Formats: sequence, structure tokens, C-alpha cells
Amino acid sequence: MGGLILFIFYGSILFFILTTALRVKKCIDAPVHLHWELYKGSSIYESTEWWTKKEITFGEKLWSMVLDLLFLREFYHRNRRFWYPLYLFHTGLYLLILWHAWLFIRAVVADIETASIFGWVWGTFSTLLTFIGGMAILIMRMRDEELKVHYPPVHYVKWVFLLLTLIGGVYAVDLHFKSSIPSLLKYVREQVTFADFEHKLRPAPAPALHVLFASVWLIYLPFSHVYQLFFRYYHYLRWDDVPNRKGGEIEKRVREHLERPVTWSAPHIQSGKQWREVASEMQQPPILDSNR
Amino acid sequence: MKAKRKKIRLQDISLPTDEPLITIRADDLMPLPPPLAREEKKDPYPSLSEEQKKRYESSLDGVSALSLPKPRNKEEEEKLVERFLRGLEKLLSPNDNWLFWQPLIQSLESCVRCQTCSDACPVYLSSGNQEIYRPTYRSEILRRIINKYIKKRGKILSKLTGDDIELNWPTVARLAELAYRCSLCRRCAQRCPLGSDNGLIGRELRKLFSQEMGIAPKELHESGTVQQLRVGASTGISPEAFQGMVEFMEDEIEEKWGRRIKIPVDKEGSDILLIHNSGEFMSWIENPVAFAIVFEAAGLSWTLSSEIYGYEATNYGTWYDDVQLARISLKQVEVARKLKVKKMVMAECGHAHKGLIVIADRILLDEMNFPRESFLPLLEELVCGGKLELDPQKNNFPVTLHDPCNFVRLMGIVEPQRRILRKICPQFREMEPHGVENYCCGGGSGFAIMSSMNFKEWRENISSRMKLKQILEAFNDVLDPGIKKYVCAPCSNCKGAIRDILASNGLWERHSIYYGGLVELVANAMVAMKKPFIDWEWH
Repeated sequence: MGGLILFIFYGSILFFILTTALRVKKCIDAPVHLHWELYKGSSIYESTEWWTKKEITFGEKLWSMVLDLLFLREFYHRNRRFWYPLYLFHTGLYLLILWHAWLFIRAVVADIETASIFGWVWGTFSTLLTFIGGMAILIMRMRDEELKVHYPPVHYVKWVFLLLTLIGGVYAVDLHFKSSIPSLLKYVREQVTFADFEHKLRPAPAPALHVLFASVWLIYLPFSHVYQLFFRYYHYLRWDDVPNRKGGEIEKRVREHLERPVTWSAPHIQSGKQWREVASEMQQPPILDSNR
Repeated sequence: MKAKRKKIRLQDISLPTDEPLITIRADDLMPLPPPLAREEKKDPYPSLSEEQKKRYESSLDGVSALSLPKPRNKEEEEKLVERFLRGLEKLLSPNDNWLFWQPLIQSLESCVRCQTCSDACPVYLSSGNQEIYRPTYRSEILRRIINKYIKKRGKILSKLTGDDIELNWPTVARLAELAYRCSLCRRCAQRCPLGSDNGLIGRELRKLFSQEMGIAPKELHESGTVQQLRVGASTGISPEAFQGMVEFMEDEIEEKWGRRIKIPVDKEGSDILLIHNSGEFMSWIENPVAFAIVFEAAGLSWTLSSEIYGYEATNYGTWYDDVQLARISLKQVEVARKLKVKKMVMAECGHAHKGLIVIADRILLDEMNFPRESFLPLLEELVCGGKLELDPQKNNFPVTLHDPCNFVRLMGIVEPQRRILRKICPQFREMEPHGVENYCCGGGSGFAIMSSMNFKEWRENISSRMKLKQILEAFNDVLDPGIKKYVCAPCSNCKGAIRDILASNGLWERHSIYYGGLVELVANAMVAMKKPFIDWEWH
């Protein structure tokens, strides 16, 4: 049993890293798409000869992304009622992720016995925020007529499982480790340093269960909406105002696509020819579709 | 009292019946403010005739935008469903659909079903929150069809991730119509906290139907892009007819301005090639006339083109077909290159702006990557930079501005038009909301020119309803018919849609609410005009 948990835990970490890498690769490999843009306000097109103007920098985009992720600004402006529980949940979650990172680092780099109660306060506070936010979201998702629309059943399972994971965490920290940060750090150190393998193969049920739950989340995370939020800001996605400049990267990438065949089958398309040929085709065939 | 409405589920899209999923009644509609608040209520659109019902698909909402013929037999139905699936596969392939693959996948994968977008949609709100018009309705159906038929998820996972949608001919036929119940204003996309673009999903569906199955509204395809590629303009205007119109414009200019000018046509090496929506020459020739007066008065080096493709800014491909979009864009740029002008300036046509300046930007390579810009910043320079002698008192009547979606939300041109109006219209007042938060005129994405069977009534009473409400609210303190009022709509299609809602509600006759473009107001304010440029004659 312990071996299985170990396999799932380390396996999930590996899975998380690999899947994330694949998702990033998919994003980078995606063909450059046409300039299909939305604007929050004035753009360079308000200027004559806009092509001589400087577009928004990557730093500005990054800053905008950080603010959006931290404060869920879009929800704040567009759906305030839903923002309250979402904000509690995400703030708690971010703090909880940071807390776990702190646990891993603290367990290795400093003396465990000197760890103060601050670590416990941080973890408990974050868990509480996440739990209250998550519970509120689940209740809203179950009761609010709008939020129920098209919401797939599996997502209710997800929220319940998330709350169980949080309860499992509290159980492990406060009952198994008796709210002792040094005990918790000792356990984490064993995991990180691969020390005491025998101990690992016979884990105590409480931390083992929590580790198992965490593994499931690691497997899920690369498919979650939080990831989508990140990819939205990828260089060629929304809020991207990069004009095609002669001799530039966009032109280079588009040129490759123009050599590809057009595969669409409607009569006016002239399937099979290259994009370049089809786009510059002068003749328009009859519209009649013989299959209709 | 309102009748209790039947609850529409996602699975209803595949109901094997000819009966529409919904029938919208007068009581369902979003109420309008005075003076239309107490008008006798009538249903928004008439039923199709029995003959039409027998021949064409209308099982979505009893409306036919596509005149889609019913398949003759089961075999034909199956064949069409199969073609839809092949098209869907192509839509989801980065090789076949490289032009929009990334934003489409992002939009399909990122929706969290928070429904924040629903309250942003003018069609959904105007119809009284009809479930099938909810921006996520068509997207969610498509998502579930993809999960089941393309990703081939098993039964249990399909059940867990959502209800099963059966892909049959009724599903395909209703989706085809549903793709034309969204005006692609993308207000929902602007609202989406996750960046999911339901407008784009609607457009991609249109594209699937056009590029794979040859299904598109006649007004956009046969009489639109195909005609434009054949004869040079979607209105069918030939180069010879265009020359005749230019002569007529010169007469008009002489009458209004008191000066006889020669409108520059095909003048090589000019700074500017000005391209109008050719609908302006047919329906609102005062708009190109006003441009000519203003450009001549400012001493610009400019020209029109009488070359085939050179006097038509429209590109309906923007709304439904990437191939037609690319073909027309290339033809238009080619004209400018041949004329050796310094830049192309798009006149008052919203989708032509977005289509040629923004969307086509990444298919115009090398020498085809030709400078293209909007008329708005240029006009602002002329008006606010003191290049014209203007008297705002000539425009001393209430004016409100309709923001074409393509200028504001889809292009970020928000302020120049306002700075112009503040300078020349003392009684300028904003609609609410405005700017990037504006509502579509209801004629976007081709709706303004589509009139198949009862579609025009659907547009006037549902998709344009929010705009009608905004216009009435903007003028609520000056409804007295003795006060002439002006809705400034600097886009040809928007102008057409606004004309129709003002006409069908008798708002010109009863309350003197008129409409027109932006440059007409500039010409009207010019001190040198012999006669008032705006003649307040309904057309």
C-alpha cells in the first residue's frame, strides 16, 4: 500500500511536469492566427500612420496578467457577486501553494526544531480561506440558477473532493502531527530527501491520505482553468496587439502556412491547392452545391 | 400575464421535430422606454407560410436566415451530418484551420460556465432571456459534440462531463441557423473573465458551414463575396456605373458647397486612396459627397478608384469565410498598390476597418503589406487641428453617437469620433453604455443586409431592440417632434439597421429622430457651405 502511494505521489509529480511541458509545447507550436483582437480602450489605431507607433510591451502584458491572476480583476468588474467567494478561494489557494513551497524549502534549508508557530498560522489561515471560498462556490453553484446552467456534474464532484482534501490536510496537520510544525517539517524532509525509505513504505494513514489527494490534484492541475488563464496571455493570444511587420517573425510564420494545402471541401474553395494559390484565385465557380 | 415558458435544455437541439424550439411572443420581449412603452404590443416576427415551413429548416425559432432546404431523405440527412463532422474535424485541426485555431481552442477549453457573458448579449436580453440565444448555448453544444464525436469520450465520462448531445440532422440544421442569431459583436467575449470568445465560436461555426458544406446566407455569399469577386462590388456596381455616380456627386457638391470640383478618381501617386462601402453610393451618397467636400476643403492629396475592387470596402468574408476574406483583401490592396498611393483610408464602414486593417493584417505579406488606416484619426486631425473653418452652431440640435462594434471593442478606436462631435455638436450626448461597452446596432455580421423570409423582422424586433432602447433613452428629454434629432452612425451596416428600426417604429415621422454618418455633420458645420449639408429628408 505504501509503495503504491509512493508510486502515485512521485508519479503524479512526474505527470504534472510532463503534462505541463506538453501543454506549453502545444501552445508554442500553435500556428500564428489571424489578428482577432479585443480592446479594453484606445489602441494604436487611433493614430494616423499607426504602423509607426510602438505597441504594448511584454512587460506591460506580464504586469497585467499578474494583477488579473492575483485579484481576479475581470470577475471583480464583471460579476461581483461571484467574485467574493472566488477571491477568497483563490487567495487561500495561492497562500496554500506558497505555504507548501515554504514547507519544502524550510524542511531542507534550516534547522527544523527552531520553526515557529508562524508556519502553522499561515497554513491554517490559508486552508480556512480556501475552504470558506470553496464551500461558498459549491453552494452558489448548487443554488444559483445562472451558475447551474451547463455546469457539468463532474465539477460538483471536483469541489466536494477539494473540500475533502482540505479537511484531510487539517486532519493530518492538527491531529496526526498535533499542530507541530517541527513534526510536519520532519515528515516533509523525509519526502524531499528520500531519507528513511522504510518509513515511507509504511506511512501513517493521515498524511498518506492527504498525499494521495494531493497527487490527484497534481494530475488534474494541467487541465484546470487556472492553466487556461495563464495560456490566455501567451504572446499571440488575447490582448495582443502585434502588427505584422515586413520581414518580421509573424510574416515568417505565416509564410509557412501559405504553402499548405487548403482542405475545405465546399465548391467555392477549390480544395487541394495551396493557400497562396487559393487566396489569389480570380475565378469564382458557380455556387451550386451538388450534394444539397 | 406571462405564460410559463418551457425550459429549453441543451439536448433539445437534437429533437427530431419540425416544431421550433421556441416561439417568441410580444410579452417575452424586453420592454422599451417612452414613447414606445405604451404602444400596442405585437409578436416580433411572423410565422413562415406553410409552404416555406415545408421546404425550409426553421425548427430553431421559426425564423429562417439561411433558407436552408430540408433534405429529401434519410440518406441525404446522414450525408450532411457526416459532412458536418468532417468540417468539425477540420475546424479543430491546426493544419486545416491555422487562421483561427489557437483562439478557437482557447475559447472552447476555457469556459467555466459562470454565465457572466449572458448579461452582455443584446440578443439574449432583448428576447427576454431566451435560452437558445444565451451566448454559451451554441458553444456548449459544440463543446459536447466535440467531446462525444471527435474526442470520442466514453459513455460514463460523457455523462459526467455533461449531457449527451445526439448529432443528427436537426442538430446540424439548428446549429446552422443558430450561428446566425449572434451578430459577432463580441460583447460577451469582452465580458468573459477567462477570455472565452463565444462570438468567435459562432463565426467558426459559420465558417464550417460555408467552407465545408457550402451553406451560407445568400446575401453574404452569392450576392455578397462571390458577386464582389466577379464584378468588383457586393452591390453589383460596375466601374462604368461608378463613374456616373461620381459625376452625380460633383453636381451635389456644387449645389451644396457652391463650388464645382473634379473629384479625383484613379489619380496615381496620391497620398490617400479613400475606399467607401459601395452601399453608400447606392443608399447614402451624401456620405461620399461629404468626404469629398471635407477632403477638398482641407487640401488633401487623395483619390477614389474606379478600378474593379477599388470602390468597394466591404468584405463579407470577415463574417463567415476565411478564404473569401483573404481573396477580397488581396484584391483591394492590389488596387492601392497599382495606384501607387501612400496609404489606404477606410471610410465609414466598420467591418471593412476590422477586416482589412486588423484581421487581414497577417495574410498580407511583403509588398501586399500595404499601409491601411481608419478615416477617424485623419478626420480628427482635420476638425480638431484647425484645417477646416467650422461653426458648431450649424449643428445645434441633439446628436447622439452609435459606436460601431468594429471601431470600438474590436479595434480600439474610441476617442477621435467623440472629440470631433464635442467640437462640432453643442448638444452631443452619449448613449449608455458606450465606447468599448457599446451595444451592437443589431445589424452586425451581415444581419443588416440579410432579409430572407422573416429574418428582417427578427432583426428589427430582437437583435436591434437594445439599440432602439438606447436611442430613445438618449433623446428622452427631447422627444418633441419639433426638435430634430440626429443619430450619428459612422458605419454603413449600422446605418442600415438604425434606419430600419427608426422607420418601422415611425420615429422620424412622429419624433423627428433622423440618422446619418459622422462626416455629414462635419460638412454641415463648414462655414463655407452655401446650403445646409444635412437636408433632413428621410431616405
